Amino acid sequence: MSVIEYDVIVIGAGVSGLTAGTLLAKHGLNVALVTTGEPTACLSTGCIDVCSVSENPLQAIVSLPQRHPYHLISIKNIRQSLRDFQQAMTDVGMPYEGSPENNRRVLSAIGTFKTTCLTPVTMQASPQNEDEKIHIITFAGLKDFYPGYIISRHKNASFSIYDAGVATTMGISANFENEAFLEAFMLWLEKQNIREDKIAFPAVLGLESASAIVKTIESRMECPVFEIPTIPPSMPGRRLFNHLKDHFRRHGGVIYWGWPVVGVEKSGRKIEAVIAESQGRPNSLNAKAFILATGSFVGGGLHANRDSIVEKVFHLPVFLPGKRETWFDHDYFSLSHGIGQAGVAVDSDFRPVDCPWDNVFACGAILAHTETLKNGCGHGFALATGQAAARSCLECIR
Amino acid sequence: MIKTDVIIIGGGATGCGIARDLALRGIPHCLIEKGDYAAGATGACHGLLHSGGRYVVSDAIAAKECYDENMILRRIGEKCVEPTGGLFVRLTGDSKIFRERFLRSCEEIGIPTEIMSSTKALELVPNLNPEMEEAIRVPDCSIDPFRLCMLNMRTSEIKGGLSFIRHKVTEIVKSHGRCIGVKATDMVSGEEKEIHGNIIVNASGAWTNLVAGLAGCEVPLTLSKGSLVITNHRLTDMVINRLRPPSDGDIIVPNEAVCLAGTTSLMVEDPDKISIRSEEVDIIIGEAGRMVPHFNQTRIIRAFSGVRPLLKSQKLDSREISRGFQIIDHQNGMYSIVGGKLTTFRLMAEKMVDTIMNAFNLKRACETAERPLDGQDELSGYPLSKRLSDMKNIVCECELVTRREVERIISQTGTRHVGDIQHRTRLGMGPCQGGFCTFRALGIMHDMDILTAEQSVQSLREFLQRRFRGIRGALWGDQLREEQLVEYIYLGILAMERNK
Repeated sequence: MSVIEYDVIVIGAGVSGLTAGTLLAKHGLNVALVTTGEPTACLSTGCIDVCSVSENPLQAIVSLPQRHPYHLISIKNIRQSLRDFQQAMTDVGMPYEGSPENNRRVLSAIGTFKTTCLTPVTMQASPQNEDEKIHIITFAGLKDFYPGYIISRHKNASFSIYDAGVATTMGISANFENEAFLEAFMLWLEKQNIREDKIAFPAVLGLESASAIVKTIESRMECPVFEIPTIPPSMPGRRLFNHLKDHFRRHGGVIYWGWPVVGVEKSGRKIEAVIAESQGRPNSLNAKAFILATGSFVGGGLHANRDSIVEKVFHLPVFLPGKRETWFDHDYFSLSHGIGQAGVAVDSDFRPVDCPWDNVFACGAILAHTETLKNGCGHGFALATGQAAARSCLECIR
Repeated sequence: MIKTDVIIIGGGATGCGIARDLALRGIPHCLIEKGDYAAGATGACHGLLHSGGRYVVSDAIAAKECYDENMILRRIGEKCVEPTGGLFVRLTGDSKIFRERFLRSCEEIGIPTEIMSSTKALELVPNLNPEMEEAIRVPDCSIDPFRLCMLNMRTSEIKGGLSFIRHKVTEIVKSHGRCIGVKATDMVSGEEKEIHGNIIVNASGAWTNLVAGLAGCEVPLTLSKGSLVITNHRLTDMVINRLRPPSDGDIIVPNEAVCLAGTTSLMVEDPDKISIRSEEVDIIIGEAGRMVPHFNQTRIIRAFSGVRPLLKSQKLDSREISRGFQIIDHQNGMYSIVGGKLTTFRLMAEKMVDTIMNAFNLKRACETAERPLDGQDELSGYPLSKRLSDMKNIVCECELVTRREVERIISQTGTRHVGDIQHRTRLGMGPCQGGFCTFRALGIMHDMDILTAEQSVQSLREFLQRRFRGIRGALWGDQLREEQLVEYIYLGILAMERNK
């Protein structure tokens, strides 16, 4: 078995794990991140939901139930994590717009408005009410985007169809990275005689250079252009992940990709190593501290049995919202399903409660009482808890 | 006002079977169903076409009827019956006396059996519990109840029969003490229809007493709830029964890409207020797992309940009540047909229509046992080659349904309901239970101008609630994970709200 030594090992490559890893790497620590594969961030809209229950996200956080883990972080630090994120994204050429004092609206693929805090610049021009005049461009055969859904709510919207030769979000996005394709598309677009005030696209405007592509279209058409997030696979989610990943690596972080953690080595009150498999062979990743950022059920950090919920890496105690019968309400549209409370409870240092080891920290969607959908606290919560767990980890090591 | 000869209330297997029989005997008729075809017990069963084995010890008549009907349906319904064969498995501790009685009764009735060693049975179904004592082979089959109803209705349609689905009967019109018609409300538009006929057949299953009540009649029924679970793949190619007196969770039936296992049997009062409890799910999995151990680790994609309308009896355990059927003449132009089971639906329809012919003083023999079901050539089968023919345009990844196939069904049937596409193509029947493809199917329906944009959004909303009712009982493990993803997509990414 190969043995590799680090200061800190982060488990999970989502927004919280990458954020924690970057902060530690910036402080000069030797950090490695181990992941089974792509995080759920790749399925997301790429928007940073901080807290969507009222107009002002920071005030909304204050009104959350007492046991919500947001309350373990000062507002100042939450602000700091958002600022650091915006700075990092500006540096990599994918600026995020918005402020922690104001939520904004993003048009969804079904014509509703999603409430969020920071949006990628490609969604900056998203309309803020149902009356704005928009023209939607869609693509022949694209199976995950139907402008009809949007037009049902937006009477001043119309659409045109372009044949991109391919019909998947990934395929069309890759095409937009090609200059000849973009030019041919622009020539078509300019002939469309669009009279609406804004032009909307499903989020397929390129892989990594989306903000530049949006700018090109805007300047040629002389009107605002914006993307509408689609159901997975979601390009804005992938862009967010790729940029955060590059940012982490640029600060010296190492990523072990496709290495599922299959075991741990412990001694007294310390975890000494996690055992991660690479092509079936075990590797011992040793470190002074470990950050658990494996996500909730979708991310794979939690697994529900018929009568229990387990945390998959360290088998930490998990807060269970009652018996299975109570995990879900009968109404699908209820945002208060009991299962939203499930997760790992942490103390003010982001150490799991009743954890037998002193050098384990947890952050992100795996935390108990988060209720991500109900509170609209997705990536914003991941940024804030990622930094908070990293700060505690830093103190622990020093 | 619409005039016809026979009004059938209820679009389950019995009602649809009666419509086909009437059509073949040239009797004008009109079927009214408050939901969709097969929406009650018909669609909420195993889809087991019994060989008769299950009832052979307790109810020889019902068993013989099952066997005869089984032979008929294999012949006439090739596209909705899969002749899988079945095994009755005897596990350690199961009564040997019951086995002797089982074999003797099968012989008396004429149900062919073959006794197999556990080694031989494991060759046929490798997933069986290797600790079993032995297995007895019987001619069980798997049947698709949705297709069965659709194909029966196809004959009715060809012969000019009328049918109104999503129409609820609100009143039975009487004149001089006789039932002469019904009033029915269109559940979608709210519009009311009045239909007159000479005879009314009440084939509304668990709702029989409620419908009879509209004519001032009573049909005492015992309502027995049975719950089932569906696995996300096919664990056995044969029907698996437990060789013991009928009990909870002792049947597993393969159906195309999945398996259904059940049932439970609990008496209920109101057929409109039933839900599945997690204890029932656990019992079914535990029992099915004794016959097929892999069942304990298999992903369950759905759990649901149906209500059996059984003839009222003093017996406390609803499993001891006869599965035979009965035709009740209310002496006022209305008949109720109750009891029976999916396997014997054709026979029930034949007897019902014989009674009607008698009342009309007409003579024409029943032909439903000889003629193959109409419309079977229109159905798409499951062959992988067919499903993969247009890889680029697959809209349902779980069941490999292409956009072209969806468009074909929409233009062929003019349907406005995503359920109709589901039952014809298996769209949305796989592990994600329509989480991704229904959004697409409704988008396509709007593209084709079948639905307005508002209607597609509304249908999507209703679909999500319906889907959730089905999967709520199966939420743990990977199915819970999938559900959280789908919830995140609709309520998070798409920011969908409940109806305002």
